[in-house]
Amino acid sequence: MKGAEAIGEAAIRAGASAYFCYPITPQTEVAEYLAKRMPQVGGVFLQGESEVAVANMLFGAAATGKRVFTSTSSPGFSLMAEAMSYIAGAELPVVFINVMRCGPGLGGVLAAQGDYWQATRNSGHGDYRCPVLAPCSVQEAAELTVQAFDLAEKYRNPVILLADGMIGQMMEPVSLDSLTPGVPSEKPWATTGCRGRDPNIIKSLYLDPHVLEKMNLRLSAKYRRMVDEEVQVELYNQRDRLDLLVVAYGTMARICKTAIDILGEEGLHLALVRPISLFPFPAAAVHAAARHATRVVTVELSQGQMVEDVDLALRELGPSEFFGRSGGVVPTPDEVAGAFRRLAKGACQ
Amino acid sequence: MVSTAGQRPASRDDGRPRPPGAANGHSDLSQRGFPPLADSRLRPRQPVVILAGGLGSGKTELAINLCLRLRATGDRVRIADLDIVKPFNRCREARELLADAGVELIAPPGEQFFSDLPVILPEIRGMIREAGAGEPEEMTAEPGAGIVVLDVGGDAAGARVLASLAGAFRPDGYEFLLVLNTSRPFTTDLAGLSKMCDEVRAAAGLVPTGLIANTHLMDETDVETVLGGYRAVSELARTAGLPVRMVACDERLAPALPPSSFDCPVLALTRVLGLPETRGARKSPLTYV
Repeated sequence: MKGAEAIGEAAIRAGASAYFCYPITPQTEVAEYLAKRMPQVGGVFLQGESEVAVANMLFGAAATGKRVFTSTSSPGFSLMAEAMSYIAGAELPVVFINVMRCGPGLGGVLAAQGDYWQATRNSGHGDYRCPVLAPCSVQEAAELTVQAFDLAEKYRNPVILLADGMIGQMMEPVSLDSLTPGVPSEKPWATTGCRGRDPNIIKSLYLDPHVLEKMNLRLSAKYRRMVDEEVQVELYNQRDRLDLLVVAYGTMARICKTAIDILGEEGLHLALVRPISLFPFPAAAVHAAARHATRVVTVELSQGQMVEDVDLALRELGPSEFFGRSGGVVPTPDEVAGAFRRLAKGACQ
Repeated sequence: MVSTAGQRPASRDDGRPRPPGAANGHSDLSQRGFPPLADSRLRPRQPVVILAGGLGSGKTELAINLCLRLRATGDRVRIADLDIVKPFNRCREARELLADAGVELIAPPGEQFFSDLPVILPEIRGMIREAGAGEPEEMTAEPGAGIVVLDVGGDAAGARVLASLAGAFRPDGYEFLLVLNTSRPFTTDLAGLSKMCDEVRAAAGLVPTGLIANTHLMDETDVETVLGGYRAVSELARTAGLPVRMVACDERLAPALPPSSFDCPVLALTRVLGLPETRGARKSPLTYV
C-alpha cells in the first residue's frame, strides 16, 4: 500500500466513523482511498468547502464522542489551526494527519519537514500542546495512526500524525492484521442527547480568569503526563563509542540509516536516534546516546527546526551540528554520507 | 520538441546538458540492468504504447524499463510523462537515466516540471500522430523502430488525460495496456479488477488492447505472489476478451519463475524509482532532483 492508503485503512480499523477533508497534494490519496472505503464500512466521508470548515466539522463531530479525523498538507494544516486550538480547549479527541510539503506559503508540492515547529509547539493560539507522532515507514504510519486515535481518547486531546510527502507516497507491504486498536473508552462527557441526564456542555470559553487558570493548570498537568508516558524513540546501531551520533525522523531517518551503513563499511561508527514522538521529544534518549559520541548531527528536510530540541536535550554536551535540505530537495544517502564522513573524520582528529 | 535531454541540464553536478545517448552505448545499458529484449514477443505491436491502470500498479517502473530495454535493442524511443495526478514517482524523475540512454523524455518545461497540474504539451499530440502514421507491423516488428510510450497517471482520474488526446490516436495504431497489481487495494479479485478496467476505459475513451500482470509486494514478493497475480489477471483476460501481453517481475525473482506457468513472455524489471534510502546509493540508477 501507499503510505496515504495505509493511514486511511488504519483509521478505519481504529474505529474512525467520520473523515472530513479538503484535497491538497501530496496527501489527496488518503481522501481518494477513504472516498471508496468509508461508505463500505458505514462511515462518513465528507469533503468540506475549505480546511477551516473541515476542522470545525471535526470539532462538532468529536463532541459526539465518535472517533473522527482529517488529513491535510502544510498550507491546509495552517488553516485548521484555529479550530485545533478550540478542540484542545474543549478537550476533544481528534486525529489530525499532516503530510508535510515544502514552504513557506504555497511553497511546492514535494516532501519537506518544515512544519516541525508548527506541530510540536502550538499550531493555533493559546496554552495547549498535542502529541505528535512521526512515522518512517508505511507499516509504522498505519500503526501510529491507530495509536493516535487511542492517545486522543486517553488524553481527550488533538493528536497530530506528522508525515512527509515521501511517507505518504511511498509503497511498501503492510500487515494490517497486526494493528491492535484499543477499545474506545466510555465518554460520559459526549453530547449524545441529554434525555434522562443533565446536559453536557462542551466549550472553550471561560470568562472568569480564576476558572480559566484552573483549567490551564489541569491541561498543563495533562501535558506533563504525556511527557512522562508517551515518549517513543528508535535507536539504530548504538555502540559504546561513536564517531558521530545522528538525530533524524521520518524519511530523513531512512536515508540516514543507509548513510550510516555506508560509513560502517568504511570503519566509521555512527548511530541514529530517531524520535517517533516529536512531542513529547525523547530528550533523555538523545542525551544518553550523545554521551557515547564525539559529535552529534541533526538532519532534517528543513533548514533546522528539530535541531533546537536536540540542543535542549544535549545540554552540556551540545550544541548539535546540522545538515538539512529543503524546498522539496531530498538528499541521496551518498550525499548525507559525505556530510557525515566530513563531520566524523573531523571529530576523529 | 521539448525534450528534457536537450533543454534541461542532464546533470546537476556540472549543470551542462549532455546530448542524448552520447555517454552510453547499449552495453552500458546492459550493465545497468537493461539488456536488449531477447523475447520478440515483448516488442510493441504498434508504434504507440499506452500504459495505464490503477494508482501504484507499477506503470512507471514498467514504462521506464520497457523504454530502456527497447533502446538497448536499438529502437528510437520517446516517452511522454502524462502523470498529472501526483508529483511523486513519475518517469520524469528518471530523466538523467533516460537522457543518458538516449530515450527522449517529454515532460513540462520550467517549474511545471515539478507540478501536478494538468499540463498536456501540444507536441505530445503531434508525436502520437506522427508515430501512428506508418505501417505499424513493419515499424515495430524489428529493432530500429520508432516507439512512443505514454506513461499515464493512475486510476480513472489519471486516465482522463487520454480522452483529451483521443483525436490524435489512429484507430488500431496503438497498444493500450492495463498494468495490474493484484496486491493493491481494490484490485485483489476479479470484481475489483473488472471495475478498475471499466473505469479506466470509460475515462480514457479508448478500448484497452491487453493486460500486464505486475503483481508484487516489493521485496517481499515470492514466486507464488507472481503466479497468483497472473492467475487473477488471466481470469480477467478471459472475461474481458483481452490478451495477457506480459508478466512483469523483479529481475532478482524472474529466473525462479517456472517458464511453463505462463502463456505470455516475462519482462524482468530493474527497480529504478525505489525508495528514498536507496536512491543515489551505490548501485541505484537514479538520483533526486
